[in-house]
Amino acid sequence: MSDEPIKPNPQIEQAAASDESIQKVHAILLREKPEPKEGYTPMPLFVLGFVTVMIFICTLYFVHNRGGFSPMVQDERYDPAAAAGTTEVAKVDPVAQGKRLYQTCAACHQPNGTGVPAVYPALAGSEWVTGSEERLVNIMLHGLAGPLKVEGKDFNGNMPAFGPGGGYNWSDEKLAYVMTYIRQEWGNKAGEITPAKVKEIREKAARAKPWSAGELEAIK
Amino acid sequence: MASAPSIVSSLNPATSSDDVKRAELSEIDASTKWPALFLLASAVGWLLIGTVFALISSFKMHSPDFLGNYEWLTFGRARTAHLNAVVYGWSVNASFAVAFWLMARLSRSVLRHAGLLIVAAVFWNIGVTLGIYGILAGDSTSVEWLEMPTYATPLLFLAYALVGAWAVITFRFGKSPHIYVSQWYILAALFWFPWLYSVAEIMIIFAPARGTVQALVNWWFAHNVLGLWFTPIGLAAIYYFLPKVLGKPIHSYYLSVLGFWSLAIFYNWAGVHHLIGGPVPAWVQSAGIVASFMMIVPVIVTAINHHMTMVGSFGALKYSPTLRFIVFGAVSYTLASLQGSSMAIRSWAEVTHFTHYTVGHSHLGLYAFFTMVMFGSIYYIMPRILLKEWPSATLISLHFWTTAIGVIVYVVDLSIGGVIQGLLLNTPVLAHKLGLPQQHGTDPVPFLVTVKETMIYLQVRSYSGILMTVGHVAFAINFVWMVVRSAQSSKTEPTLFRTPREMEVTAQ
Amino acid sequence: MNRAPLIFLGIFFALALSWVGIVLTNQIGYGSLQPVYDEDEGKAYPLQTPGLAARGKLVYEDLGCIYCHTQQVRRAGYGSDYERGWSGRDALSGSVARDYIRESRVLLGTMRTGPDLRNIGARQPDSTWQYLHLYDPQITSPGSNMPPFKFLFETRKIVGQPSPKAIQSKLPAKYQPPAGYEIVPNERGENLVAYMMSLKDTYAYPETKNVYVEPTPEAGKEEKK
Repeated sequence: MSDEPIKPNPQIEQAAASDESIQKVHAILLREKPEPKEGYTPMPLFVLGFVTVMIFICTLYFVHNRGGFSPMVQDERYDPAAAAGTTEVAKVDPVAQGKRLYQTCAACHQPNGTGVPAVYPALAGSEWVTGSEERLVNIMLHGLAGPLKVEGKDFNGNMPAFGPGGGYNWSDEKLAYVMTYIRQEWGNKAGEITPAKVKEIREKAARAKPWSAGELEAIK
Repeated sequence: MASAPSIVSSLNPATSSDDVKRAELSEIDASTKWPALFLLASAVGWLLIGTVFALISSFKMHSPDFLGNYEWLTFGRARTAHLNAVVYGWSVNASFAVAFWLMARLSRSVLRHAGLLIVAAVFWNIGVTLGIYGILAGDSTSVEWLEMPTYATPLLFLAYALVGAWAVITFRFGKSPHIYVSQWYILAALFWFPWLYSVAEIMIIFAPARGTVQALVNWWFAHNVLGLWFTPIGLAAIYYFLPKVLGKPIHSYYLSVLGFWSLAIFYNWAGVHHLIGGPVPAWVQSAGIVASFMMIVPVIVTAINHHMTMVGSFGALKYSPTLRFIVFGAVSYTLASLQGSSMAIRSWAEVTHFTHYTVGHSHLGLYAFFTMVMFGSIYYIMPRILLKEWPSATLISLHFWTTAIGVIVYVVDLSIGGVIQGLLLNTPVLAHKLGLPQQHGTDPVPFLVTVKETMIYLQVRSYSGILMTVGHVAFAINFVWMVVRSAQSSKTEPTLFRTPREMEVTAQ
Repeated sequence: MNRAPLIFLGIFFALALSWVGIVLTNQIGYGSLQPVYDEDEGKAYPLQTPGLAARGKLVYEDLGCIYCHTQQVRRAGYGSDYERGWSGRDALSGSVARDYIRESRVLLGTMRTGPDLRNIGARQPDSTWQYLHLYDPQITSPGSNMPPFKFLFETRKIVGQPSPKAIQSKLPAKYQPPAGYEIVPNERGENLVAYMMSLKDTYAYPETKNVYVEPTPEAGKEEKK
């Protein structure tokens, strides 16, 4: 055995390759700093104090804003236990509510009530708005279709019904507020319409199709 | 790859134990070579793809007709493709590579049967590719962070299972008696993610919960991907590379412990802050706010730990690319988290919710923190697995400056733009609360005015995006060049920004 | 290594706590919320989304509308959602959880690059406006950064009678098709607009009253806080 040439060990040969690569590996290895370690500097006391204060503040906040832990309460200020005792109903300002509701109408009649010429009539200065209460309520309840003259100008469109038929199904209050609003805005000066009035007219005439101008003119 | 005995046994028996450890490390590095390289190469590829979609989406926001006739590129799809490419493509591939490279090194455990890890990585990438194709084709689920269609997600799950199992096995069979802080974070991330993902997929996609319970699960999941996956991986990297490059110990083990556990307890409740003011119970909103605010604790504690470790060595930032990216990332982590805690406060949320401010914040977190930390990690890992140095210091420098300046401009720009947008959107109520003059009377500012006022900020965001793209391209060129060029045995110095005298000599 | 089981337990309980608190508790708390039957109207609210609108919702999802539009109205006094008329009902609460119980995919959204759409069906009754806006938002909303959705329409030769759904008569001059052609919404376009028209939460559930109202010292003060 001793005079046989030493067979190269494939494992050592292929991996170690050459002196150069070991040199290189060693260079990369050697320049690396040692693996990271943790130091044991004690925790500063103020950190513990800070954590305690944070926990305290946050607990207070949570308790104050828990909405009674109820899954049906989304308003953090609302306390179901406290509210259960009161039956107070806040007073409503019809014009402010009506103004908010008007945003729906503004899509066609425009935010300043001017309408779009030949397409949607203006509400500012319109005799249909400031005139007969019953006519206006009926328009809102059942809609208005077909040719129409407003302040001398011609229109031929389709106002949807905001009562039960048209999908909006606004309550007496909503209808009353928005009509009250348009009747006193943009220079219009006409009186308030009450929810009671809307209810009265709603019960009078039940109809499925929109009004025409002619039919409405017959109403006083 | 199994060169296990050769290097250590090739050392002179008189070699110091320190050097023996280093030799052992090189064996470990060598065992991770192919999976790490595959994952990192995929990550860089996805970074470029994600960047392209980012630019497209950004341009569309201020020039809506840009590529407007292509249905598959409509903003809703391009933006989603961007998010999924940078999160599940770039960020997760990079996370996998960094996580198990760190785990192998810290456990002092050679990675066995690494070929199977490559199979996992292939599955993951096929899944992401299918998912993004599906999004562009119109199969998006329209659930944020879970948009990939159901034909892609099982592949992701399978790939993840393999990668996760491997990292745990590597840890289990490691020789290290002490569990270093980075390992806590990585193990935690590996355990948390599948739980989050399964619950989310089941309760939103496969067996949807009723109503807004879905939204709670959605944001519990999505925010925890940030807080319980990306943040731990990013912190694990910082906790490794910071002391490693500096050759100093981490300042305080006790701060590490407090930082880890407070993150674990508080971070996962914070997700509900995405739903402040929304149709979910008030108490869970308040819980999310409280948790988001308590996050100040782990963030400050970690910042102190990192800062005190760095103190006295800020000069090293002049030389080391790894250190620069890591420190930039660490500072960004602190800023992003503190910003996040502030955004959870109800009155500030009232302004910034639903605005571009949130987009600025998310990029401060996922880009300025996580992506920059990954860049730094990659700059360190690649020479050790390829046994070659980075070809061009100029490209590294270009990469750093373009991405750093790019992301700073991005975040500042969208933060200002977002606040302006939020103030305009919420007048008159906000103006009343803040005691500001009502510039538009008591009417809400018309919506189109809010759009018009934010246009300039959206344009500046596109410019910053172009800057960051330059950086990514420089990085990709350097990466590919490094992989393909032959090993130059003459070069044994690291590619650094400058050559300091003390870096030439062997480590002290 | 012997600390590993402890670390594992801690990690487990950390996530378990939030999973129980955020997910499980709320699934138990309101995960089986039922619709409310209104006797006056003979309907159960929230209403079921009608057929075409349900298909339109899929179009909304695949085009990624949630990335610019929210579908959640905040309560009065928190932001100006209420003042903008984004709420469809006369209550201070904004959107409530029960509004979403019929939806297999809840599309709350997180960005208001565009306005909230939860009650767009109540706010914008005109489907023509919707078609014009989708065709090119610049037509109805100059300066908007919403992309055009011309691919929800097709330009086709008029065969026999012109289609009643054609919109080219309402389009400005530069969008006009060649003579003899009309522009009609395709099936996806129609479904999407049907979905938008169906978006309205008009019913005032009992819980819409669960809003804190500051006690008014005297009558006549505004209701909203």
